[in-house]
Formats: sequence, C-alpha cells, structure tokens
Amino acid sequence: MKRSLTALAAAGFIAGIGMAPAIAQEEFKIGVLMSYSGISATIGASVDEALAHYMEEHGDVVAGRKIVLVRRDTTGPNPEVSRRAAIELITREKVNVIIGPDYTPNVLGLAPVLNEMKTPAIITGAASDGIVQAQSPYYLRTFYSVSQNIKPLAKWAYDEGFKTIVHVTADYGSGINAEEVFKATYEEAGGKIVEAIRVPLRSPEFSGYMQRIKDANPDAVMVYMPLGELPLMFLKAYSDAGLNKSDIKLIGVGDLTDETILDAAGDTALGAMTAAVYSPSDPSPENQAFIKVQDEKFGGEPRVSLSHVAGWDAINIIYEGLKAQEGKPFDPDAFIAFAKGREFTSPRGPIKVDPETGDLIQNLYFRKAEKVDGEVRNIPFHVVPAVVP
Amino acid sequence: MTLIPLLFNGLSYGVLFFCMAVGLTVTMGMMRFTNLAHVSLCMLGGYFLVQLTAVWSVPFLVMLPLVFVLTAALSAALEVAVLRHFYRSDQLSQVLLTIGLLYMSITAAAWFWGPSYKAVQLPQWLVGQVEFAGMSFERYRTFLLVAGAAITAAIFYGLERTSFGATVRACVDNQRVAAASGLNTSLVYTLTFAIGGGLGGLGGALSANMIGLDPNFPLRTLVYVLIIVSVGGMGSIMGTLAAAMLVGVLDVLGKYYLPSYGGMMIYLIAIGVLIWRPEGFFRMKGQHA
Repeated sequence: MKRSLTALAAAGFIAGIGMAPAIAQEEFKIGVLMSYSGISATIGASVDEALAHYMEEHGDVVAGRKIVLVRRDTTGPNPEVSRRAAIELITREKVNVIIGPDYTPNVLGLAPVLNEMKTPAIITGAASDGIVQAQSPYYLRTFYSVSQNIKPLAKWAYDEGFKTIVHVTADYGSGINAEEVFKATYEEAGGKIVEAIRVPLRSPEFSGYMQRIKDANPDAVMVYMPLGELPLMFLKAYSDAGLNKSDIKLIGVGDLTDETILDAAGDTALGAMTAAVYSPSDPSPENQAFIKVQDEKFGGEPRVSLSHVAGWDAINIIYEGLKAQEGKPFDPDAFIAFAKGREFTSPRGPIKVDPETGDLIQNLYFRKAEKVDGEVRNIPFHVVPAVVP
Repeated sequence: MTLIPLLFNGLSYGVLFFCMAVGLTVTMGMMRFTNLAHVSLCMLGGYFLVQLTAVWSVPFLVMLPLVFVLTAALSAALEVAVLRHFYRSDQLSQVLLTIGLLYMSITAAAWFWGPSYKAVQLPQWLVGQVEFAGMSFERYRTFLLVAGAAITAAIFYGLERTSFGATVRACVDNQRVAAASGLNTSLVYTLTFAIGGGLGGLGGALSANMIGLDPNFPLRTLVYVLIIVSVGGMGSIMGTLAAAMLVGVLDVLGKYYLPSYGGMMIYLIAIGVLIWRPEGFFRMKGQHA
C-alpha cells in the first residue's frame, strides 16, 4: 500500500514536471518605478508593502496571466534616471504597465517614452496640476492634484474664520502652483494673504521665517511642502519658536503631517489641521481592514500613508483592467479606455477615475493631528465628498 | 527689537557650523588632505546620539562627551585604515576617495537606521522658550551658544597652551622640520584627525535636533561646511569661527529681510569673500605649498 502510494506520488510528480511547460501561464509584467533610495526611499518601501498585500489577498494570477513585478529605482526627483529605467523596463523587461513614477519632474520626463511605446503608467506620487492626461494619454494618477486639495482647503480656511493668512511653500514648480491656486481661491472668498514666503528646497534653517510669521501675526499659517525633510524641519522650527502655543493656527496640505514623518515630528505636529485625500484614521470598514492587515504583515513600519493607498489603488486598476481583457492580448489603449470613468472602492473611500484628466474623483478629509494611544495621528473631523480634480 | 532674536538665532546656528567645520579646516590646512567624508562623521555623531538616547537612555550632558569619544575613535580608525595612505596623493584622488566614502556612509546609515528621519529626544529643560526682556529665546539655542563658547575655549586653550597643541602647530607650520626634531608626526596626525572627527560628531549630534537627521545629512551639510572652510581660510580656526558665525547670522537675516532670496545669501557671501580674499579671511602664516 505504502509503496503504491509512493509510486503514485512519483508518477504524479513526473507528470507534473512533464505538464508544466504545457500549462505555463503567460506572464504579465508590471514595472514598479519608485524611489527606493535617497531622501524618499520610504515611498518605495510603502508602495511595495501595499503591492505585496494586494497580491496576497487577490492572488498573483489574473485572467490566466501570472503577475510579475519588476522594480526600478528613480532615486528621487531625477528625470534622467527615471527615463532610462522606464526604457529599460519596457524594451528589455517587456513590462506591459508601469506603476509610478513619483515626482513631477519624473512624470514629465517619462511622458514621451510612454507615448512612443504605448505603455500605460499609473502615477502614485506627483501632485502638480495638469501632468496626467494632459501630458500623455497613457497616464492615470492614483494620487491627488494640487487644485483638488487646495481649492476646498482655501474655502474651508475662510469659512473657518481665518481672515488673514501667511502662505509658506517651497520654492519649486509644484509649490508655486499651489501658492497661486490657494491665493486665487482664498482671496476670491474674501481672505487676505498678508505674506507669501517661498523657502528654498534645501534650507534647513527656518528661524528667520518664523520671526516673519510672528511679526505678521496672521489668523493662520498655510503650508504646502513636498513630502520629506522640509515639513519636518518646518514643524520643528514652528514649535521651537513657540508658534504652536500662540493663537496662530497651522493648516496645510496632508504632506505637512504625512504618516511617514509623523513619528519623527512627534509633538511638534500636534494641532496642525491638514486636508488630504486619505486618512488612515478614517473609521470606514474597508480602511480599518486594510490598516489591520498592513500592521499585521509589516509591523506598521513605515506607517500606513497615502503612498500605500496610491500603490494599492494602482494595482487594483491594473487587476480590474486585465480581467476585462481576459483571453485577449493586452491592449494598452483599451486598458486606459476601460479605466476612465470606472468606480472603485478603496481604503480611502469611493473613488472614480475622471475620464477627462485621468485623476481620481475622491473624498477630501480634513484632519487634526492629535495624540491617541501614545502616538500622533491625523484624526478626521470633516469630509468633502467626491472632489473633482 | 526683532534684530536681537535674529542675531541670537543666527549665532546659535553658526555654532553648529563651527563644530562641524573646524575638524575639516584642520585636516585641510595641516595635512593638506581634502576629506569630504568629514560630514559623514558629523552624521554618525548624530546617529550615535539617537542610538544612545533610544537604547541606553544616557543623560544628555553625559551623552555629548560620549558621542565625541565614539566619533573620535571611529575617525582615528578611518585615518589609520584608509586615509593615511592617501596623504601623498593628488587632491583629485583624495576628493574621489572621500566622496566615495561619503556615499558609502549614506547607504550604510540607511541600512542601519533606515531611510527616514530620526527624531532626537531632548531633555525637558532644553525644550521650549525662555522669556528675557520681553523677548522669547529658544532654550536649545541658548544651550548651543553656551556649548559653542565652551568648545571654542577648549580648542583655543588646547592649541595655544598645551604641549600637544604646540606639537600640532609645529606640524602645521612645517611637517618635515617637526619630524626631523623627533616629533612623531604620524601619531600627531592620527590624534588631530580623531579630535577633528570627534568635534564633527559633536557638531552633528548638536545639529541633529535643529536641521534634522537622515542618511542624506552629509550631502545637505557638505556645501555649507565647505563654504565656511574656504571663506574662513583653510587651517585657520579663528577664520572658521568667524566664517561660521557670519554664515549663520546672514542666513537667518537674509531669510527674514529678503524672504524671496534669503536662501541665496550664503552663496553670495561666499562669492564676495572669495573675490575679495581668495585665501579666505585669515591667511595661514608660513604656509608652504
């Protein structure tokens, strides 16, 4: 009996080997083009976690195709490197779709490559207005656009009773974009920008600016800065100067108190009110389930942030798009056409791909940084649903 | 009345630069060795501080000397193992070597401590502001000024009044004659290098709280440190002190009075000073090629 079982197992094994090539699945390669090193290596790590989480939950075979991820490092805002990596991904690795890139310069640098190679890419980390469909018909974005975030924020700030504001941003393309949008919306509502400060991107010392804010004594300070060192340094200087204990309120776009820097910022972030398209503390069941699995799988390091959800939504769109093309060779144009106007449920809430811009129509959460269970979290207190990009 | 807090902030900022740059100016002036990896030692000082606070919860004031000793030991090891073999190389090789070390240190730090920012836990007595004559001053910056004064005094006392200082000065002035007089110049080099690295580590530890600590720290500070060393005059401690204070103060003033262009201020100073005095503020006496 035992012997026959062994023989049977052996036969099955051999048959298995023999069959393998016959039933070998077609591979479907997804290029992941992210910052894995340099100042924003956390972004790459976060997106990777979300992708691993998604593929474990949904399997790695979609519509008969085996999903394979191929990673490349953009090293940060570096269009030359991103372009080279993208060309390599498409021509040598034969990827069908790209998740990424991050940073506006990388997005702009990649657009001609995508147009020529007809390869869809889902941007997960660059916020400038007008860089998605306007740059390439193959671009979609699961992040947010500056206007989408800042217009409602400016209106809310005025309605909240902040009549004078000092606007602080970093001196780069997206920052100037943000300042213009905020100023236009806020002053139209009736508010007054008493001072607009543009800090250099590499400027670790803020005390001069803090003195300026003190002298201007506005109702609120509005901050838009790229994710990373600047918001952290700003929060530090703001509380060192004692401004967090003054009557001046601190408001900003979510990056100011993004979860990736919140532990390092600690108490300096407390009280900051920010608007963001994702809030990890949102109580919706989808979000809580997402957070729970993330924390169990990866020990909560780095903390779940918008980068995670942007990666999650990107691969979700790819999976759904592939299912729609079951049994046919992958058609990039049909993929984009399928995605446009489609609605998905995401940990961040209901989302819909805007057919015109390629951006998401999504909720905007207003959050306040508070200390809960010994850690600083962004607690949502107000939601604007279905904000158009 | 805003000028006083601005000067206060600028000077305390300058203290950080002085600590970080003084070691480099000595190695560049004395040993003619361009050690760009000096800023990596500064970063390591910061990480040692974070590690010591997080793991062993050593009191802050005990920790600073400890950070100094640790980075000094590491610098000495680096000097003996790698750098001393390149004293006679041309400057381009030195730059290539040390920039390579700098990049290695960035990756190594990311591997050990992760790519994100590390927060420094300060004792309560260093957090917040003190009110004085109707103006508020940050406690940490006040501490920086006191620490800076103490470090400067220690450096000048050590160099001018001790026999080790005399040996160092002898080696700076003329290494060959010093060696011929029976001084163990290579030991002096190692020790000087260790002290310079230790001061850098101390500077890094002190700045970690103010300008942030992440693996990219060396690249962020390298430009500032190099500007201060060249503006101050290589090898001149007095010059480095003056340049560090000038850069600190003008950076803060520039950002206050000209917020749109403030970030450019230090580069303008550097260009101006180097056109005016290409050798820096303080030319070294008896300098030989």
